Amino acid sequence: MERRVVITAASAITPIGHTKEEILSSLINGVSGVKELRDDGLLSGFIHSKVFGTVDYPVEYDFERKYRKTMAPVSYYACQVAKEVIAQAGFDRKLLSSGRLGVAFGSIHGSPTVQREIYKNFFSGERSKFSSIGAVDYLKSMVHTTAVNITKMFEITGRIISSSTACTTSSQSIGYGYETIKFGMQDAMICGGADEYDTTTVAVFDNLLACSTDFNDTPASTPRPFDVRRDGLVVGEGAGAVMLEEYEHAKKRGANILGEVIGFSSNNNGGDLILPNILGITETIRLGLENAKISPDEVDFVSAHATATKMGDVIEAQAIYKIYKDSPFVTGLKSYMGHTMAPCGAIETVLTLYMMEEGIIAPTLNLDEVDERCSMLRHVTRIIEKDVRIAAIQNFAFGGVNTSLIIKKFE
Amino acid sequence: MTLTREKIQNEILRIFSEEFEIENPGLNDNLREVHEFDSIDAIELLGEIEILLDSELTHDEKKQAMDIRTINQICDYVESMAKAHS
Repeated sequence: MERRVVITAASAITPIGHTKEEILSSLINGVSGVKELRDDGLLSGFIHSKVFGTVDYPVEYDFERKYRKTMAPVSYYACQVAKEVIAQAGFDRKLLSSGRLGVAFGSIHGSPTVQREIYKNFFSGERSKFSSIGAVDYLKSMVHTTAVNITKMFEITGRIISSSTACTTSSQSIGYGYETIKFGMQDAMICGGADEYDTTTVAVFDNLLACSTDFNDTPASTPRPFDVRRDGLVVGEGAGAVMLEEYEHAKKRGANILGEVIGFSSNNNGGDLILPNILGITETIRLGLENAKISPDEVDFVSAHATATKMGDVIEAQAIYKIYKDSPFVTGLKSYMGHTMAPCGAIETVLTLYMMEEGIIAPTLNLDEVDERCSMLRHVTRIIEKDVRIAAIQNFAFGGVNTSLIIKKFE
Repeated sequence: MTLTREKIQNEILRIFSEEFEIENPGLNDNLREVHEFDSIDAIELLGEIEILLDSELTHDEKKQAMDIRTINQICDYVESMAKAHS
């Protein structure tokens, strides 16, 4: 039996804002969240890219110490958006602890801040006399730290799925959460991802010559998805979450339904771990549509992965065109905040839901002159009013992992 | 520095306040039951005791602390470790 899966809450902490109003305002007014890379006293001095998608506003947390003690910055982000979707969905403790609600949440590598502190203590000799590793350092930094800190804080007893597939982490969270509900294993799932401020990730992409460096003096001018002057990605931080719920369950309790997940696909390129692969990407787009049981021309909007790398955008444009032709509007939402890594799929899903509800599509920021190799698509270059009925959110990751999520306006 | 019983108690109460956000616990309170002080906190406390003693505790010494439940018992433990490490 296949059950319908709806979205009953959404929340994001992003470089362009936290509340729905702030985020929409940034999208409508073309405000970038890319700022100067902060000095971390370790790697930032060696990195050529000096820009970062930065959450530079205070986030009010009121977590008790009994929860904080196992939380690194990445879990603060995760628990905050989880808290907000639980409140927004109107779930009580009884339901959270019923065993019928689970968590699908991840980050790309737990908490690099904590891992860095362990080695700093050890090698600096500051605490080498005693233990350089604290009792909770593993709990704070392990790869599923976000998911289990959420379960601890909200006494959730259902399934845990903690994908850690780089840039497809949270799109897989939503996709696997969707499948878990669809096939009856859970009635609701908190799905998303988070990543904290981290220069290790910037250094990795910098070493691969994949980071933007030409706009170090004008951070808001980069990244530039599909633009002829794009010169690479910008790493960012943040979190995103949605509450997925079985339709009858949501209907019975009179929940406010924001949208419906109607399809998901995930595959692997089966080869190179870094290079974008048109066959793999095209196939995941096709599988997503097949799973949603819709034709390509029913999709009104594609939220492209579009990291603004030289070849990634071209391959993605070719794959989109191969399946959709120039029918759907296409935007690269990373142009506003850089590549937030694990949460990017969830954040882009939340932003797409906000735009759906508002009846608008935001343009790709910094898209001044479309690269002719990407020009066959229906790029959004200015804010447009559009009743988006069906949207596709696509994400691709190191390791050759691809995902496509298909969401529908609730009718 | 001589660690008197009074100084140990004051230091332990300071650590509980600053590190564990537990203010003025009763000296014979069951820390787990009354203040949700768990095994993770106990391990963290051992690290603080090492700093207080300026000496590393052995594995066996740390294991001896695992049955401790009250502030008074913690003070007894620190006193005995201070003697053993002097």
